[in-house]
Amino acid sequence: MVAIPQSSSMPEMDLSKKKILIIEDFQEMRGVFRGILRNCGADIKNILMAVNGDEAIALLRSEHFDIVLCDFNLGAGKNGQQVLEEAKFRAYIGLACVWIMVTAEKTSEAVTGAAEYQPDAYLLKPVTEASLRSRLHKIWSKKEAFVEIYQAMKEKDYSKAMSLCDERLAFDKANAAELLRTKCDLLFVNGELDRARQLLESTLAERDIPWAKVCLAKVLIKSNELITAKTLLEETLAVNPYFLEAHDLLVETLQAQGDVEGTGNALERAVKLSPNSVVRQKQLGDVAIKMGKLETAEKAFRKSVSLGENSVLKTAGSYIGLAKVCSENKNPTEALKVLGNLNISFADDDGVRLQAMAVEGMVHHQSGNVKKAQQIATELGQLVAQEGINPDSERSMEMARLLMATGKKEQAIALIQSEIKRNPENKALHDNATEIFTSVGMGEAGAELIETSRKEAMEIMNRGVLLMSKGKYEVAIDAMRDARQAMPSNQRALLNLAYVLITYMQKNRPTEDLISESRESLFAANALSPGEPRFTRLMGALNELAASK
Amino acid sequence: MKGNKLDNIPSEPSMASFLAFSVHDMKNSVSILIDGLEKTLASVDSVSFPAYDGLVQMNHEAKRINNNLVQLLTLYKLGQQIYPFDPQSVSLNDLLQTIAAQNIELLKSRGIKLEIHVETDLYWHLDEDLVSGVVGNALNNAIRYTQDCIYLIAKENKGVLELRLEDNGEGYPDSVLQENIDNMRSVDFQNGNTGLGFYFSAIVARLHKNHDRLGEIKLENGGHLGGACFMLHLP
Repeated sequence: MVAIPQSSSMPEMDLSKKKILIIEDFQEMRGVFRGILRNCGADIKNILMAVNGDEAIALLRSEHFDIVLCDFNLGAGKNGQQVLEEAKFRAYIGLACVWIMVTAEKTSEAVTGAAEYQPDAYLLKPVTEASLRSRLHKIWSKKEAFVEIYQAMKEKDYSKAMSLCDERLAFDKANAAELLRTKCDLLFVNGELDRARQLLESTLAERDIPWAKVCLAKVLIKSNELITAKTLLEETLAVNPYFLEAHDLLVETLQAQGDVEGTGNALERAVKLSPNSVVRQKQLGDVAIKMGKLETAEKAFRKSVSLGENSVLKTAGSYIGLAKVCSENKNPTEALKVLGNLNISFADDDGVRLQAMAVEGMVHHQSGNVKKAQQIATELGQLVAQEGINPDSERSMEMARLLMATGKKEQAIALIQSEIKRNPENKALHDNATEIFTSVGMGEAGAELIETSRKEAMEIMNRGVLLMSKGKYEVAIDAMRDARQAMPSNQRALLNLAYVLITYMQKNRPTEDLISESRESLFAANALSPGEPRFTRLMGALNELAASK
Repeated sequence: MKGNKLDNIPSEPSMASFLAFSVHDMKNSVSILIDGLEKTLASVDSVSFPAYDGLVQMNHEAKRINNNLVQLLTLYKLGQQIYPFDPQSVSLNDLLQTIAAQNIELLKSRGIKLEIHVETDLYWHLDEDLVSGVVGNALNNAIRYTQDCIYLIAKENKGVLELRLEDNGEGYPDSVLQENIDNMRSVDFQNGNTGLGFYFSAIVARLHKNHDRLGEIKLENGGHLGGACFMLHLP
């Protein structure tokens, strides 16, 4: 006889009302999945099937699904991960939807943990009724445990989310590990670095857990303790060489330390583990160009471009990088072809169009076609002047490079100066500008121009704070508003504006308008670089003001 | 054959890569075989269908092949440092129940009684796929050698998780008990024992570390049922 005690933690699930999507290119396997789901209690009428990524996306857009069972490998076209990314990116599925990715073998993607575009679970083939049942059960009990916490996180009410974690941690043993991890992440996002550190260190004292080590490294990077962070990450990778997030953070650390070669090596290891990331391949391409490894760069950019073809996460940067490599390799025809594809893929993006033009001009310049380069530079100069488009700093610098190379020095310098004023503390931008000046033999003069622009910007930014310390609050607010306008993507300018507004309200009285202006400015600052301690302090002060009103 | 996503397997033509490729390919075929058998088993009645027990046995053998292939592939990847080892907090009750459920048909057809002894609130940090592989393998052995009864026991003892699999068969022969099971055992084709299972189990055990402590496996005879007793200890 067989006596298997029924687990008390696994009650019967009711799948009869659940709307289910099966994404699988193999007919036999679709049948197998359908049969298993039916045995688990699903109603055949509620099960829809898609044979490829495009079909799946069309169904996800028009229907609401409770469960998606998706094979990772879908033959030609999008793979399962790309379908998931697009569904999440376009908000076709919400937090309540259960997404199970079926894979032939365990992949390193499955170990990244808390990443944004993760499925709820990976299920290894062969899928059986028992394995699906237990996985669904686990996912649901976790979703149930986290529903309020995720809601609070969505509303950016991090303190509430944290106290909800604490409440549950007191009794919920099944989700204890995940609750603890979420709490650490919340402390980090909320800028409470010291508390995050304490909690992680006490967790690690008890048990050597990879995610806790990696999270501690994240806290250390934020606190600018790069050497300790690096040691910790290398330690983790020596034991868990497959931990992707640790690779990514190591890349970030080495980049911040200015170690180009180390960054390149770390990226190559990460790409070996997880070759299907658009972003990581592009990063590798960028670093390889810097190191002069054109072959590696070309391979990485090509891979990034081809992965991007089926992905919502595609980026213009991969095409730009590839075009530059081809141009360096004395293959202007191929470079121009890549730029042509870029314009087709990003037809609606004005910023991309300008950048593509700038790179096109440089391709002609490098191949000795002076006339064509001149013509594009002139056209570009006119476009920037009249259209009033605000390209980001990478794109502006690309244009400056062409203008400089084609002898339009004044225009180029004006562009570089305005970029530096907008981002006076961006080291990569300064390096880029220096390089442009040096390439036309203006190294010395360039360095001076860069320094002057930087100083000017810093003065504008600090004027408000200075005025305030003299008690001239109204003038200080105006000065900071000007600074913000001049430097919309400068975190310090945003935080300073919120700071003078909040201090003014503390001295006088809070008003609806000023509160919302401060809040908007703070959120914009946090979006640029989440979790700055200064953001948390100001947010706390603002909430107090709002409550006292 | 579909599903040959082999980005992680190096492209240099070496014997090891060919073996890994082939194992991967065979695994896909076996997956389809198991799916088909499961489907057939679910669609027929165990009493009136004469070949039912035969099919259960075939399904069992197919799963054994699958487990062996998974173990080979995992060992290969561990050697290449590309296996995504992933310790998470796992409910031991769920883990053992799932393994039992996967073997329920076979247990039924052999008339073997399986008892699981575990507290429902026991959780441990471990790689679920690897540990399931070890326990599943041990259960397969026990099913082969027991008389009619198997215990699956999990409990915590002084900061170590102790998993025990006991049966009421003859027990391990002395030669097995004497050998150092942490090392690759010599291949014994006559008894169909390649030592792969033990080797895999020892590797998996040692992957689990906490501070200075390592996991280990142990074999003995006796226990509650007087037969073989396979133990996996994880810190």
